[in-house]
Amino acid sequence: MSVDRRDFLKIGAVMAAGTIAPAISGAAGQDEEGASSKNLWGMVIDINKCDPECTACYDACRKENNVPHFPEPELDIHWIRKIKFKQRGVPNAEERSMPAMCFHCEHPPCAHVCPVAATFKRADGIVLIDKHRCIGCRYCMVACPYKARSFVSKHVEHQPGENPESPIRMHGVVEKCDLCVHRIDQGKQPACVEACKKTGGGGMVFGDLNDPKSEVSGIVRSSRATQIRADLGLNPRVFYLGV
Amino acid sequence: MANVRFRRIEGNSAQYYMFMAVAGAVAAMAPLSALYMFVNGHHVTGMTNQVPWGMPIVMAIYLIGASAGSLVLSAMSSVFGKTEYQPFARIAALLAILLIVAALMAIIMDWGRPDRILVPFFHFQPRSMFSLNAILYNSYMLVGFLYLLAQFKESKFWKKALGIAAVFIAVGVHSGTGAIFGFVFVRELYNSPLLPPSFIAAALSSGTALMILILYATFRATGRLLDEKLLHGMGRLMGVFMLVVIYFLFIENVTRGYAPKNYEAASFLLLHGGKYTAMFWIGLVLCGLVIPSLIVFNPSTGKSTPWLLFASALQLAGVLFERYIIVIPAQVMPLELFSDKQVTSVFLDGRYANYSISPVEYAYSIGLFGVVIFGFGLAVKFWAMIPEEARFPEDVK
Repeated sequence: MSVDRRDFLKIGAVMAAGTIAPAISGAAGQDEEGASSKNLWGMVIDINKCDPECTACYDACRKENNVPHFPEPELDIHWIRKIKFKQRGVPNAEERSMPAMCFHCEHPPCAHVCPVAATFKRADGIVLIDKHRCIGCRYCMVACPYKARSFVSKHVEHQPGENPESPIRMHGVVEKCDLCVHRIDQGKQPACVEACKKTGGGGMVFGDLNDPKSEVSGIVRSSRATQIRADLGLNPRVFYLGV
Repeated sequence: MANVRFRRIEGNSAQYYMFMAVAGAVAAMAPLSALYMFVNGHHVTGMTNQVPWGMPIVMAIYLIGASAGSLVLSAMSSVFGKTEYQPFARIAALLAILLIVAALMAIIMDWGRPDRILVPFFHFQPRSMFSLNAILYNSYMLVGFLYLLAQFKESKFWKKALGIAAVFIAVGVHSGTGAIFGFVFVRELYNSPLLPPSFIAAALSSGTALMILILYATFRATGRLLDEKLLHGMGRLMGVFMLVVIYFLFIENVTRGYAPKNYEAASFLLLHGGKYTAMFWIGLVLCGLVIPSLIVFNPSTGKSTPWLLFASALQLAGVLFERYIIVIPAQVMPLELFSDKQVTSVFLDGRYANYSISPVEYAYSIGLFGVVIFGFGLAVKFWAMIPEEARFPEDVK
């Protein structure tokens, strides 16, 4: 039995180390990091200006971020999508449309459930995924109420004409709208907003919610701006007019 | 009670090697199918962007449940004074460890990036149930291991102390596992404070059912004496646990169905959910709970070993259905962006999703059972896990 016990103890010691390691190594999940808390980026979308057939924001997002396209609708990846909706229980209700994406919540459930803090919120409110840290457990997809996240379930090939600023990713991680953070950091607007202004209805307004003089904070201060599923208490930073 | 003598099995027979070869081949299916998923991507499974969690998660929580149940049963003799279960303490503790190992395999091999296995050791998110469970599962494995080690010592103190620790942590592990789903407040079919306790109840019932089957098979295969009265007693214990499961199911569904905002979710599960509704009523309620309860509480069938084995098999299958309908239908239901609007999109918003188990997920799941059986076969050859005989205390001279 002595040999058995020694073996047991050896394995036990290794397991003990494995148990304690996460707790002591644990730079406990940081809720906010990077960027400047002087800014709080947000968006307002006026759906009265959104043509159901227009896909300017959707096309621009795919191009800017090299969002892969898979033919199967249930596997395809969407950083932004056009949603069509009708009032329930109203005969001949008008069909309307709006773009939906990650709403960069103040209290993002995706970041709260991520076991490795691969999803985190920057100090300027942008919710990001560290794709080098994501383990692909997909808990965030289950926890997000807005269906803003997609899992890359196939190999992604390089395509001609792709944007060199947006890296091609390997399958096995989750991705979503990052508000074109690389453009924001260069002082530009997200690609969807720019495209909406150029070729769409111009219903998307992006800006600093912390700046009282910005157009976006002016609209948000008015009582007309609403949030999707405000009842959940997540305080999304994308607001809508006319829903 | 007389001291129970444990003895290793010889493990030299052709049957043993045949058994281990088959179990090993089945066990190999788990890592091989995981490798296939990793190399090709998850599109080879039934999982999609609509239903991101599939059979691997179902298997994980099923195995964790059975593990927690086994460990509590193992502690029956040292902690709760049920000395008649002393002969099974080692087997149950061994199974508990093997089942949690298989459950952890189920979780990790299902990650999109299982090669990042070390990442959770360096990054911790205290608000994440997954993160907390990683600590719970590892602690559980460690305590289970020390508890098994204590079974090889004479010290009653350590057996009891580690047994108490094991019971507490088993309850913690299963509460944490239930909370993975219960805390997801955006999906009506997940969000419930009753999930953690009802997980524990189903863990105990399925753990007992598994023990009954494994004990019977092990003693029979090794030609050792097993007093069937012991199994019948465990059958009644399983019956009590099943009644608790029924109670939780009833309360959970009535509470959910009472709120108008949940009408659709409740009726999807209970009335118009097609295969999910069938799994709920036929797989879980009828076959998994009602029929086995009737069998174990009926004085004649409750004392019949074949009936008891049948009831245990039904209960084990029933809890597998229970785990399936906890994980899957909540994701199949569309997320509601507006309570008053019909929604459609290219991303299938507003539509019920489809999920069917793919061949690779079948191989993955069956392989995990193989891992447990192979590990068990190996352990009983190298360590004295099985008693020479198991008698009911009053029969011991």
